[in-house]
This record gives sequence, C-alpha cells and structure tokens, in this order.
Amino acid sequence: MFTTISSATVLGVEGQPVTVEAHVSSGLPGFSIVGLPDTACREARDRVRAALLSSGCRWPQKRVTVNLAPSGVRKVGSGLDLAIALALLVADDQLGADCLQGLGAVGELGLDGTVRAVPGILPAVDAIDTSEILVAREAAHLVHLVSRAEVRSVATLREAAEALAGASPWPPPPPDPDPGPSEPVPDLTDVRGQHAARRALEIAAAGGHHLLMVGPPGAGKTMLARRLPGLLPRLDPGQSLAVTKIHSAAGLPLPTDRLVTDPPFRDPHHSTTMVALIGGGAPTLRPGEASCATHGVLFLDELGEFPPHVLDALRQPLEQGSIRIARAAASVVLPARFLLVAAMNPCPCGEASRPGYCRCSDRERARYRRRLSGPLLDRFDLRIDVTRPDTNRLLGGEPGESTAVVAARVAAARERAAHRGVRCNAELTDATLEAATPLEKGASALLDTALRLGSLTARGLTRVRRLALTIADLAGADAPLTAEHIGMALALRSEPLSRDEAA
Amino acid sequence: MKPSDVGFVTAIASLPKVGPGRLGALLAAGEPAAVWQRILGGTIGDDAAVVAALGASARGLSTAWRDAARSMDPDQLAVRHRELGYRLLDATDPDFPDAFRDDPEPPHLLWVTGDLARIRPHTVAIVGSRRCTRYGHDVARRFGREAAVAGVSVISGLALGIDAAAHAGALDAPEGAAPPVGVVGTGLDVVYPRRNRALWQSVAERGVLLSESPPGAGAEPWRFPARNRLIAALAEVVVVVESSERGGSLYTVDEAMRRDVEVRAVPGPITAPTSAGTNRLLADGAAPALSAAELLESLGILTATPVERAPTGYRDPEEGAVLDVLTTGSVTFDELAERSGLSLERLGLVTARLQVEGLLTRSGGWYQRAG
Repeated sequence: MFTTISSATVLGVEGQPVTVEAHVSSGLPGFSIVGLPDTACREARDRVRAALLSSGCRWPQKRVTVNLAPSGVRKVGSGLDLAIALALLVADDQLGADCLQGLGAVGELGLDGTVRAVPGILPAVDAIDTSEILVAREAAHLVHLVSRAEVRSVATLREAAEALAGASPWPPPPPDPDPGPSEPVPDLTDVRGQHAARRALEIAAAGGHHLLMVGPPGAGKTMLARRLPGLLPRLDPGQSLAVTKIHSAAGLPLPTDRLVTDPPFRDPHHSTTMVALIGGGAPTLRPGEASCATHGVLFLDELGEFPPHVLDALRQPLEQGSIRIARAAASVVLPARFLLVAAMNPCPCGEASRPGYCRCSDRERARYRRRLSGPLLDRFDLRIDVTRPDTNRLLGGEPGESTAVVAARVAAARERAAHRGVRCNAELTDATLEAATPLEKGASALLDTALRLGSLTARGLTRVRRLALTIADLAGADAPLTAEHIGMALALRSEPLSRDEAA
Repeated sequence: MKPSDVGFVTAIASLPKVGPGRLGALLAAGEPAAVWQRILGGTIGDDAAVVAALGASARGLSTAWRDAARSMDPDQLAVRHRELGYRLLDATDPDFPDAFRDDPEPPHLLWVTGDLARIRPHTVAIVGSRRCTRYGHDVARRFGREAAVAGVSVISGLALGIDAAAHAGALDAPEGAAPPVGVVGTGLDVVYPRRNRALWQSVAERGVLLSESPPGAGAEPWRFPARNRLIAALAEVVVVVESSERGGSLYTVDEAMRRDVEVRAVPGPITAPTSAGTNRLLADGAAPALSAAELLESLGILTATPVERAPTGYRDPEEGAVLDVLTTGSVTFDELAERSGLSLERLGLVTARLQVEGLLTRSGGWYQRAG
C-alpha cells in the first residue's frame, strides 16, 4: 500500500517542503529510504523501527520503501522521523487510509517513541502548507506563534497514533509555559564617565552606524558594546519572526513563550572560523553568527586578532545586508543585516594612541596595523578612542543617563529617519543624503578647511555628513546642519590607529 | 688621501663588521692597496699589529673578510665614488674638522656632502627620542630655528622625532641663518629612515651631511651609537629635548660627558615616559634648557630678547578654555569636556576649529596643543 504525508527540511534559514512517500508491499522484508537523505536522515530507519515497536505498533514484515520527494533536494537531520513513522503506519494499514489528509508533521523520534523538537523547526513548519500540523509537545507553543495551520502536539508516537485512529482525542495544547526569569538587560547607567563613548553608542543606535572602539585593555569597550542592544528599538513583528526563524535554523536556544523581540547580541570569539561567522556549515548551510545578529548587534572583540580572511568575508553582508552562500549542491541567501561593533587595542601593548606611552617597536605596530584591511575599516562610520576612566571618577561621580532615557531619544531620531523613507540614516543613499543635509555656512566652511588640510577625504566627507545628520536628528534639529553637528561628527571619527607621532 | 687609495679604503670600510675600531686597525696596517691584497689573501689576521688591536677574533674575521672581499672590486668602488660626488676625508686632509682632530675616538674616514666651511664656529646638537610628543617636537623645532637664526649650526642625527624637528626648525629659519649639519649612521646614499627623504635632501642642499660609513652601508644597529659619538664630538653643547629612561640619546650624553661637552636637558612632565630620561638628567645635575635664548647665552651669544608669543587673550573664550586645559599635556576628549565645561557638541566644533587653525593636534582620542 502507498501513502504520503507532508513534512519539511531546512536549507539555510528557509524550510524546504518535503513529501514523505511510504510504500509497503510483499517481498523480502527490508526497509530503505531514498531521495538524498543525509546520515542523520538515513538513520531514521533504526529510530523509526524502534519507536514503532516501543509504541505498541507492528513492524511490517514486508518490503518497505520510503521516498523523500522532491528527490533532488538534500534532506537533512532527523525532523522527518515522525512523518516517516506515520506514513508507514498508514501504508501498513495500521491506521486509516485518509487520516493523514491535510496533516503535516515535523519531529524527531526517540527509540522509546518520544517525539522531540528539532533545530530549525520554525522555518520547517513555515514551509509546510497543510491545515493541521503535528509537532513535539515541547515546541507546540512556539510553532503556534508562527504557523498558519492548526497546531497538534504530542509527547509520544503512541499518542499520535491513537488520536489519528480516533481512539482518543488529540491531547490538549500544553499550558502556557512559564516565561522564566527574563535576562536582565545591562543598563547604560552603570557606565561612569565615558561621555564621548556613550554619545557614540547613542549615535550608532540611532543611525545604524557601524562602530569601532579603539582603546587599551580595561577601558570598558566590551561593557559599552553590551549596552548597545538595549538602545536599539524592539523588533517589529516582521523582524521578530525573521530573527526567530534564523535562530531556530541555527539551533540557538529560543524563548519558550514568545518570539525573539529583543535585538540580538552576538559576540563570537576571535578564534571563530569563517564558516561559523558567515554561515554555510554542514549540509544544511546553517546560518552563522553574522546572520544570527540580524536586526541586532554583531560584536567583534579584539578585532585585530581575527584572521584577516574571516574579517574580509564580512564585507559583503555589510554592504548588502545578506550573504549568498553557494555550494556545489545548493545555494542559499542568508539574511545578515546587523550593526557591527568592533573593539581593538591600538597596538599590541594597547597604549599607542597616547603620545609617548607606547612600548611597542615600530615593526610590531606596523604588523598590527596591517592585519586590518582598509576596505573593512572604511565601513566604520564611528571610530572612537576609549580611554581608561579615571579611578576617582569610577567611585564618585554622577551615574550617567539610563538606557531608557537614551533609547527614547534613539526612537525619536529613528522616527525622523523614517520620514526620509529609511529605518535609519545608514541606509540613506548618497543622493538622498545630499538632499537631506543642506549645510549652514559655518558648517560648509569647516568641512572645506578639513578637506583642504587633508584631514578629511572625499569618501570621509559623505560619512561625516551622514553622522552629522544623525547627530542633528538626536538633537531634534531640522536642516540645515550646523557647524556644531559637523564638529561633533569629526570628533567621533578618529583615525583607527594613530599615525606616527608628529614629525 | 691619494686619489688612487679611494677605492681601497672604501672597500676596506665596506667589509662586514668593520666599525671605527677595526677600520682604524686595518688602515694602520699599511698602505691601503697592500692591506687590501692581504685581506684578499686571508693573511691579514697574521699581522701582529692587527691581532694586537682586534684580539683573538682577528683570525675568524680575517676569513670572513677574505670571503667578502672576493666579491668586491675597489676599482668599481672608486668609479662609484666619483659618480656619487661625495668628498672622502681622512685626518691628513686640511678640511678634516678640527673638532675630530683631538678626539679620543675620531672617525678614520669621513664622507661628506655639502661644503664643510658652512659649519659655523658655534654649534649645538639637538637630540632626543624618535617617538616624541607634540611638546618635544615643538620645543626641538623652536630651538632649532632660533639657534639657526642666531648663527649657530644645528647638529642632529636625521632620525625621526626630535632630530627631524630640530632640523626642520633650522631649515625654517630665514635666508642667512646657519646651515644645519646632519650626522648619519648609514652611508650617505642610504636614506634612513626613508620617511625623512625630503628632510635629508634639504639638509644636504642647504647644509652639510657627514657619515663615517661608506656609501651603501645599511642601518645596522651598531652604527647609530657610533654616529652619536660624532654628534657629541662636533657639538659645543648637547640639548636633549625628550628621552625615555633608556633612550639612545642618553648614549650621546655619555659621549658628550666623556668629551667635556656641556649637556642640557629640557624638563618635561614627571608623568610622561618621554621625559623620564631628561628629567633624570636634570636631577643628576645637567643644566635645564628653558629657552633658546638661554641656550644661546651659554654659547656666549646674546640675542635680542625674543618676543615670546604673549598670551594676548584668545579670540574666542571657548577656544581659550580648551587651550587652557591643554597646557598640562595630552588630554582625552572626555576630560577636555569636563574641564572646559563645554558640551560635547560645542567641544567637537571648537576642537575641529582649533585643529584647522593649527593650534591643536590629535592622536587617536588624545588632544595636544600645537605651536
């Protein structure tokens, strides 16, 4: 007998619908799975057999063939187990012939018949176009948030078989999970002093400007970076769904009761490989850290320690907001629109920018400098020096503004950007930028001199205008840009590595 | 020196590991042409006088020299010498600078470009760290310029930092000022550091360049302390503008003290590592160099009281507030904001303007006064 059921596998961050066909006929007993399964998928054979037997079902002593269509697409992982088991039960006449009508299933089977959730379940479920969808009980809540279909959830294969046979009703949906203690978001008020750096964070959040922090160890670069996601606006429903799907595909832990609504913060270590950073690993072409940081912050600490080819691979996503991964078997486009924040020491000893304090040799400094390619450094609109705060100021001193206060200003500035038709000023094209930033007389005079003295290049000019526009937005000022806005922008764009001292 | 000897002495001086001491021993061993033949034969290590001067290493060196000598051609070096157009002097030459004549460790050979007669009777060496602060740079430049204006030749090593600033100041002086004197460690045709090419050329054109290393000699580390001894020997007074606790300029100071040349040091903040060496010199009894006028006075030159740029009140109170904070050295943007009382926006504008006006410089996040 023959039957089919819908399921799905994941490639990149998108689900690929798969039709599971099962055929049971007389012949030498045997079980084969065809249709480009990967190892985990081929092992479904053993899991399904054990799960069926543990669930009180019969194993057909016949010739069993399972085909995963379309046969040209690679099937990855264990998410097809449940669908294969159900199709077998129907094909072996242990369940009614039409009970799989309009049903899709995604889930892994344990040997005892337990149904488990799998990484990438959200994009997979999203790709299945049926009126009902059957998933593991533990994933029911999240699937319910993204799925258009009616969600059925079971804890074991036996529950599923009984419900499909009509012997018992579908188990009730699980109770709303306990939201659990929400992770405390680090607050900006903890940062003492560091006025310029705080301002840079605010501008980065408001304008979507990539930020490079240069400073000696212990200056608080990481502390500052961790406070940036709190300043970004919460994800809108579309972004939430996209980010949750990406995180699901990457196998990251997800909140149990809701979509991801906070801007993500990803801080891969500098030993991260290129594949782990930009994606494309495993047959699934899994999304990397850059994709996981979509609509949030990608923080690269110790930028100078990352292998240069890994960093250069970030140039495409920084420009296009996505990464195209092509492999022999398949190619995918992974979303990767993130705010890049990087931190580095100015030289191996960390003191190079302070005149006369560096202990490194010229050769060491030159080598350190060569590690970063100019084109990558060019992507940072904001390049600030973070210096070690004065100890007196750490203990005494007023606490700074809180995240909530600054976030409100950021939201207002983004509102102004929205009137220009973009989410943030970093997305403005050069032409619109030109139109959006008329210059006051003092402002253009200042830029003029800076250009003439060579402290500003033509490319830098556009970036300074863009920054100045965000600064004006934050101040609630309308066009034209004043000399103050330009001056502030110039002050927040120091050279990434100090050139050799005078002379 | 006989023109026929030029190729041979150049070849001898160009042998590997030949510094002033070994060169002296080799040249003392006989006529240059004959010495060269013995080097080629590998027998120079048997010469009793040479062994006496070089000690036990003579034998090993003699083999190394023989091997190196086989790939060298004195005739060609002589041709090259004529092409380059440098003068080659030894102590027998009437133009050989008197300052070197009764020196404890005189140069045996001296390659010169520019007219030696340009060196004025009064000389001052201005030396210091290659990596200097804006303060050191400005002081060196000012001293260099005012010394040159007063007719005192400024001697320096044409290194980065203080050396370069001193010469830039001297070159900055109007027509008729004393020409600068550069004493370099490498051969005159090997510009080191390469970044100083333009400065090197101006000094060669307007002043004098000296080296005891033959053309083609590279920047081996031992050449620089040797060069520092020549600077100390030539100078009437040595001014150290900035030096770390163990800077190379302290070598110049040692050499100057050996020769009873006066040493002066420019005081700096006790917190600045770039002034640790100079402040130590002051503590050890060196006279402070507080102004160019005072420095020149110690040479017996009285200058008209220079019109110091009096604080005439700043054009703009905000700029004044920022510059007042900067009197103490380098300051971060944050500190500048706190101490000047300006908002970050105002400060951004004011610093940008001051930079444009050339009153302020910036290195990464640190701001310093300029000029």
